[in-house]
Amino acid sequence: MIKKLLASVRKETLLLLRDRVGLAILFIMPMVLIFVMTLIQDSAFKTLNEKGIPVVFVNEDKDSLGITIEQGLRGSTLCAFSDSIDGQPATYETAKNAVADGKFLVGVVIPKGATDAIRKNVMQLVEETMSTDSVQTIAISDSVDITIFIDPITKKSFLTSITSSLREFISIVKTKIMFQTFSDQIAEIIPDQEKKPVNAFNKTQIIKYNEVFASKQIEEIVPNAVQHNVPAWTIFAMFFIVIPMAGSIMKEKNEGSVFRLHTMPSSYLLLINGKIITYIFVCMIQFVLMMSVGLYFLPMLGLPKLFMGNSYLALFIITLATAFAATGYGVMVGTIASTEQQGAIGGALSILLLSAIGGVWVPTYVMPGVMRDLSALSPLNWSLNSFYELFLRGAGVEAVWYDALKLMLFFLLTMTVASIINRSNRKI
Amino acid sequence: MEQGTIIEIQGLTKTFRGALEPAVKGISLSIGRNEIFGLLGPNGAGKTTTISILCGLFPATSGKINIDGMDMKGDLSNIKQIVGVVPQDIALYPTLTARENLDFYGHMYGLSGKLLKDKIDMWLENFGLTEAAKRKVNTYSGGMKRRVNLIAAILHDPKILFLDEPTVGVDVQSRNVIIDYLKKLNDNGTTIIYTSHHMDEAEHFCTKVAIIDNGTIIEQGTPAELISRYDGCHNLESVFLQLTKRRLRD
Repeated sequence: MIKKLLASVRKETLLLLRDRVGLAILFIMPMVLIFVMTLIQDSAFKTLNEKGIPVVFVNEDKDSLGITIEQGLRGSTLCAFSDSIDGQPATYETAKNAVADGKFLVGVVIPKGATDAIRKNVMQLVEETMSTDSVQTIAISDSVDITIFIDPITKKSFLTSITSSLREFISIVKTKIMFQTFSDQIAEIIPDQEKKPVNAFNKTQIIKYNEVFASKQIEEIVPNAVQHNVPAWTIFAMFFIVIPMAGSIMKEKNEGSVFRLHTMPSSYLLLINGKIITYIFVCMIQFVLMMSVGLYFLPMLGLPKLFMGNSYLALFIITLATAFAATGYGVMVGTIASTEQQGAIGGALSILLLSAIGGVWVPTYVMPGVMRDLSALSPLNWSLNSFYELFLRGAGVEAVWYDALKLMLFFLLTMTVASIINRSNRKI
Repeated sequence: MEQGTIIEIQGLTKTFRGALEPAVKGISLSIGRNEIFGLLGPNGAGKTTTISILCGLFPATSGKINIDGMDMKGDLSNIKQIVGVVPQDIALYPTLTARENLDFYGHMYGLSGKLLKDKIDMWLENFGLTEAAKRKVNTYSGGMKRRVNLIAAILHDPKILFLDEPTVGVDVQSRNVIIDYLKKLNDNGTTIIYTSHHMDEAEHFCTKVAIIDNGTIIEQGTPAELISRYDGCHNLESVFLQLTKRRLRD
């Protein structure tokens, strides 16, 4: 039995090695996909994570508001701050043109006299608040018009982040002025009271918060294009073996080998097992190659190095389970299909669909709620979630065993379907 | 089952799923040990269906089959061990070499190691394929493919060899080599069951023939018996045409 199985594996390996197109689909295509998709998505990930959103700032105010916002934007990791364009100080017009030309995603202009306008408003507010008149009418004497130029391609989430920051800076300045004005007014009403120090406001910031990525890593791993794309496209490549695998099953049917094998004292399952072993081995090689792209080749292009987590055992378990699920799916497609074209087209389309749903193309967290629910049905998503657990959260076997179990059950399901269809086809 | 009988078929019927009438209608046959038995008939007569059932490719709808003392339904696995099948179409992996194909099929028959290697070497030598053994099968001529197709079925020294049109599309030289070796196999004790459209070949090669049409055996006996049985017939082809008429078949 073992000798028969080994002979079947050997035959399958030879067939695969002599199918150059199949080899290209299995190894070269996914490696190219990882390079291309990572490079494309890297700028999008970087916009938020590393470089920040390119912002041009025009400070016509030159007073507290302008200075506070400038300091805030300069210190923010959200922005790539600039107050000059092509070596010249930015103005209202040049900033507008620069955003229109796509040199910056956002332009912020603080108009002249903005701080004065806030001061007047606050003063009026304080005076009316402390007035003993029965009728109080708070009128805004002058409004502050901050202009924000926006590149139409800017994502709404980016824009919301910038405007929220601006509101926060304006609020700080407004509160600071209000605090100072109230202090001055109180000092006038109660002359004996010791005047508050000028920097008293700074001591009032008693609530602070830290942003930390929830990860068990010793060093924090920031989600980036590499951490997403390498596992995502590796899983895609592993499932893409459905095309050569289904093709191989179809060829054996068409070329009469299956006919001959059915007349021999060997079960068809043995032949299929030979295929499964071979293609699982192929999947493992794919995994090693794809990971090496993330570890060695992508960093050569200036991209971050892939971090593979802490548990190689967990990594092996989820990779093996993914390989089983992928080969089971290949056997099922090859058994259902009537022609090689059906197998290739049906297999490719179904994998594209399952990968899109499963979060390979774009992470599931940016999907609408319905699609996120649907993604839980894709075996590619089960696998990807486990890789995220390992690569981003530094988890171990305890975090992947459930998904690995689901993938193994998927393998058993596909094999059962294939077996039922095969038996049905033979009952002619 | 008589002592000298290796295959006994009784009331064999096969109706394919969705078919309006049976492809094989209650065939009964006895094939003697060490015979070269020709199953002859026009296209769609039921030859390949009968052979396929005997090879265990698919089950009969009804009827009893006994092969070498074993019941087809209960002992299929053991029966497969003693039969060899040469399919009508070439059933080889085109991108593998002849040796690789034979190595794989030999293993599937349970052969391995030196025994398998020696058998492959011997048959490649006998069929003049030693030089080409390391070439991929898709570079072979039709005749060479037919010869490898045959070797794949006889590596395990089967007691019974089924051949479905083994000489279709081959040149005279290859056909003669194939027929000569089949005779040698038969001399060594292998029972051969064979279908063909070549009446001349069947007349000289077979020790007994059965003519099948519309799923029924309409005549059987030695070629000489059949020729003598019908007036005005001088060869097996004329007997065949007289029995199956000249109407074209699908």
